[in-house]
Amino acid sequence: MKPITTFSLLAGSAIAAVAVGAISATWAQDMAVPPLAALGEPPIPLDNPMSEEKIELGKMLFWDPRLGGDASTACVTCHEPDQGWAFSDALSRGYPGTVHWRNSQSVINGAYLGQLFWAGSAASLEKQAKSAATGAVAGNGESDVMETRLAFIPEYRSRFNDVFGTEWPRIGDAWAAIAAFERTLIVNDTPIDRYLNGDTSALDEEQLAGMELFNGKAGCIACHNGAQATDEKYYNLGVPPAERWETDGLAQITYRYEIFAKGVTQEMYRVLKDDPGLYFRTKETADMGKFRTPPLRYTAYTAPYMHNGAFWDFEEVVRFYNAGGGENDFTDGTMAATKTPLLQPLGLNDDEVDQLVAFLEAFSGDELEVEPPELPPYAALPSQ
Amino acid sequence: MKVSQFQNSAARWVGAAAMAGAVFAAPAVSYSQEFGPIVAPEFDAAKAELGKRLFFDVRLSGDAAISCATCHQPDKGFSDGLALSKAYPGSKGFRNTPTLINTAMRENWFHDGRIGTNLNDVTRESLTEDYSMNMDMRLMQERVKQDPVYVQMFADAGMGEPSNGGIRNLIPEYLKTLVSRNAPFDTGTMNEAAQRGLELFTGKAGCASCHSGPLLTDDARYNTGVPDNPEIWSDPMRHMTYAAFASFMGIENYMNVRRDVGAYIWDHKADGSTIGTFITPTLRELKYTAPYMHNGTMDTLFEVVAFYNEGGGDDPNKDPSLQPLGLSFGEQKDIVAFLEALSGDPLTGPEFVWEEPIPTDYPAIENWREQTN
Repeated sequence: MKPITTFSLLAGSAIAAVAVGAISATWAQDMAVPPLAALGEPPIPLDNPMSEEKIELGKMLFWDPRLGGDASTACVTCHEPDQGWAFSDALSRGYPGTVHWRNSQSVINGAYLGQLFWAGSAASLEKQAKSAATGAVAGNGESDVMETRLAFIPEYRSRFNDVFGTEWPRIGDAWAAIAAFERTLIVNDTPIDRYLNGDTSALDEEQLAGMELFNGKAGCIACHNGAQATDEKYYNLGVPPAERWETDGLAQITYRYEIFAKGVTQEMYRVLKDDPGLYFRTKETADMGKFRTPPLRYTAYTAPYMHNGAFWDFEEVVRFYNAGGGENDFTDGTMAATKTPLLQPLGLNDDEVDQLVAFLEAFSGDELEVEPPELPPYAALPSQ
Repeated sequence: MKVSQFQNSAARWVGAAAMAGAVFAAPAVSYSQEFGPIVAPEFDAAKAELGKRLFFDVRLSGDAAISCATCHQPDKGFSDGLALSKAYPGSKGFRNTPTLINTAMRENWFHDGRIGTNLNDVTRESLTEDYSMNMDMRLMQERVKQDPVYVQMFADAGMGEPSNGGIRNLIPEYLKTLVSRNAPFDTGTMNEAAQRGLELFTGKAGCASCHSGPLLTDDARYNTGVPDNPEIWSDPMRHMTYAAFASFMGIENYMNVRRDVGAYIWDHKADGSTIGTFITPTLRELKYTAPYMHNGTMDTLFEVVAFYNEGGGDDPNKDPSLQPLGLSFGEQKDIVAFLEALSGDPLTGPEFVWEEPIPTDYPAIENWREQTN
């Protein structure tokens, strides 16, 4: 494959180089992708400006299970701070009586992403919050009920009024506040950031070697590039279908529900056994099995990995790529053959695998901890 | 009861009213419907059996916590014994759970009559409304498909593979089996007090002007001035549930509503004349379904009769036909005796109740990858 050849050449030239940052830029230029970069401040959408009060309200709402169908599931239920603001199982927890069908993604640094969810179905954190709170295997809430619940919590009435100026809380403003809070969940002081900002001692030798591989021989940079280490594009890597679908009735239910609810042909509903990913959005066969390149930041805390949690640690992931990716239902041509040609066996030896793993560790920094908020109670409204 | 008897009663009632100088508003109603007996609807046994299992299965609610039978309990006349129903977790009900016995013969459903089509729609409403069972029916379909017992029962009932459309047809089929049986009124075994009560019911008390037909309801709506249940507004969970309902149903200024607006919730009649109107309830099986009224504010049948004896409650929209009845204590007791004679055998036991345990988990489909979904 051409890309691999290019990487190998680049890796060869890299050894001779001295200024690592500059080298990264060169590689990236040659490959027409942005280099890894330190993470700056997150973009703030013009229609949802930040304020301390809004962030504080959003934090409360992030923890509040009343923003869910049976008042048992909050955002935090599947985005647990001590599980990397994600959920430490292959498939996310799901609403009571269900299991989700994809791996829960970290909220950390979500602010930088243009598209949320594994298939990019939400274009903003605001929309992501609403989708998660209303989906049948996530929050299963109805907007009218959730909005009305907020109205019966005096402290929220007062806080929504302060922040948004409305007499009664509006559910759309709840998502805006949650998004504002999420835009404060930033981890941009990682060893990678310190290194790229000039602190050459921030990465040890093994990690530096890993970075060379990342940028060169291993070719990770082809997709995991820029400040978030993602190009936000969609690829089929041949990640195998979730094992749990074969063994767990609850997971089989959710699998069928998802393909039914997201809309496929009757024929496809009958035969699909894997997650078509981006296909649900485009309905193009060429997009079957494609998922958005996930950011690599904060991943030390967010195992397991991949859209269905197929791999439990970095080494498994690296070895998967070293083998040139894998096979799934959209790689052999029966339904589709969409595996990206970027993936080819890498020929990494065990030391090189360890080096890449060590480098991946450098994307995470310290764990971001937040004191959980106290949730205000319901109270009767005054009689008229 | 025969039509002729009933019409005789009505005629006597009108006559008596005239002689008494029309102290109460007594419309010269010509009752066209007889009280009974009930003609039970035909049903398909296999489908009804399947509907029965579905009715008792908690997996038909969003979080798999409640079934239809959570609020419609067989030993309570398919009601729940509560003034205001429980509702889905996270919400609390704002109306009294109505009986489902004889519901297949009704013309409209829910206390406000907002469903006037068929039980398929009633089933859909109950399954999907956020405060009742909060079920995404697409997920429900896949849950039912995962249970081999259902797969077999659907096939045996000629319903093909489980589907949400099928479920919405099957629960109504089961509901057709819930028909009053052996009420003294129907078997001709009413005691003397009940017989006197019947005379009053069709005569002096005027109850039959609305409580007519085999189910003793005209399926029409009236404002009888039943007082509001203050708990709906003092309990933020109930008030919240009502406000969300009113919001969903398109009531303006729903956050400032402080009464159950009844049928106005869906007809939005501009002159406000339907505010506080509710569908006439059936009077069958009352023995099992206390407390009474759309909001459970009356604990006993005597309380209800006394309420109407006073001419109903206090409401600007109250139906003018409600006037004080001038019933003696004994007459009120007689009407209660008649009402009690409208209750039959409890619909319990395996004919009406799915008594085998229903699993709450789901077996995996083996060789999943080789099976078509």
